[in-house]
Amino acid sequence: MTDTQIIDLFFERSEQAIEELAKKHGAAVSRIAFNILGNPQDAEECVNDTWLGAWNAIPPSRPSPLRTFVCRIARNLATKKYHAGTAQKRNSQYDLALDELCEYIPDSDSVEDRCGARELAAAIDRFLDGLEPLDRFLFMRRYWYSDSLGELAKLSAMSYGAVSVRLHRVKEKLKNYLLREGLLV
Amino acid sequence: MKRELLSKAFGEMDDGFVLEAYRSVPEDAASASERIVQMKTKRIISIALAAALILALGIAAYAAFFSMDRRVPEATETFRIHWEDHPSGYLEWHNAKLAVTFPDTAESREIEFRPGWLPEELASLGGETWRDRLTAEQLADKYPNMTASQPMLIETYYMSMFNQGGALLLLYYTPEDIIEEHWDEQGVDVMRFHATQVLPANDFRPETKLEQDILLMSDPEAGWVVRLAGEAGMDTLVKVAKNLEIRQTGRVLTYDDFMDHYTFMDGGVG
Repeated sequence: MTDTQIIDLFFERSEQAIEELAKKHGAAVSRIAFNILGNPQDAEECVNDTWLGAWNAIPPSRPSPLRTFVCRIARNLATKKYHAGTAQKRNSQYDLALDELCEYIPDSDSVEDRCGARELAAAIDRFLDGLEPLDRFLFMRRYWYSDSLGELAKLSAMSYGAVSVRLHRVKEKLKNYLLREGLLV
Repeated sequence: MKRELLSKAFGEMDDGFVLEAYRSVPEDAASASERIVQMKTKRIISIALAAALILALGIAAYAAFFSMDRRVPEATETFRIHWEDHPSGYLEWHNAKLAVTFPDTAESREIEFRPGWLPEELASLGGETWRDRLTAEQLADKYPNMTASQPMLIETYYMSMFNQGGALLLLYYTPEDIIEEHWDEQGVDVMRFHATQVLPANDFRPETKLEQDILLMSDPEAGWVVRLAGEAGMDTLVKVAKNLEIRQTGRVLTYDDFMDHYTFMDGGVG
């Protein structure tokens, strides 16, 4: 079933919409939820909440692409759950990925004093736009999708070490970029 | 605070980057010559002589037998998987539906493959590139009746990885009738079956049955295993498997070259 057909089912308020959405994009959504929350029970709950979120948003939304839309809902719900402390902590790829990024942002002059999330997101978008496709791919899969380094190695046909080194360089570049943009001192 | 700000910022990022990262692996990565198997190569040479002797003795013994064995583990049986960078260093799993084991092979010959035939829907994945993994989820849209998102996945494993009780596990799917064959033309043992997973009904979906076919192809002399899986259909998997071009890279892999000695045929973190 195409995304357009699934969205049509949502507009008809047919419960089959959820079923078809889960069939088509369930694997991607589950993976994000599990990567962030780190345990199957919380991830399953998050996936179900994602379908409910989609049900509430469509209509009026007619998202395109649908996959990004549901992945974003899942990520937002999972991170909210994670930060609310209801999820099992310190055991997910999301944790590790956040820790990695935080290492590159000094505590002494915290970035949140200088900008909000939206401004930081816009800066990261501009930074990504200037990266090589492979670096952008690795960065997004690690820090947006919270994929493990091992999974990235598989996906990119590179060694674990090569992925790790490449990401390290990207983070160094990001830090320098944020410094140049005045978001870090 | 810093963590939350970063997390929120990532939630605000451009859809284009999110989609791009999901859809495709950049070409410069796909053509990289680096291998994906995590290896401690320094150890290989030091045990090569001993391993060669064991292998020579082993081949004769194994040749007369089917090179894959299978059992249904007890629900409580624990499988411990290394988890990179995790503080505890591992995760444990239970309730495996099937464990496939192999002869304790000291050395495995590393291989790479390329499809000699692919169904029309997946033809864009063909070409001259030699690989150790092929995934087709990016072409899932071409299979309208799929229950998951994987038309076909091809992965390589090595018997030396599974020594000392290691196994290839089916964690979530339950196998139906298991067929065991020997394909003379390729000189390989084959185990293949249809597998299903039933997701119980909840508030948002009815009971859902996921299905896939799995085909394991092993060469006991060289010590490698190839898994073909997905929803393209068993006939398709068989045809792809029979037309798979396989070559050895010249590398020899032993037990110590692998971080984990269990891996999953149907998801998980293996």
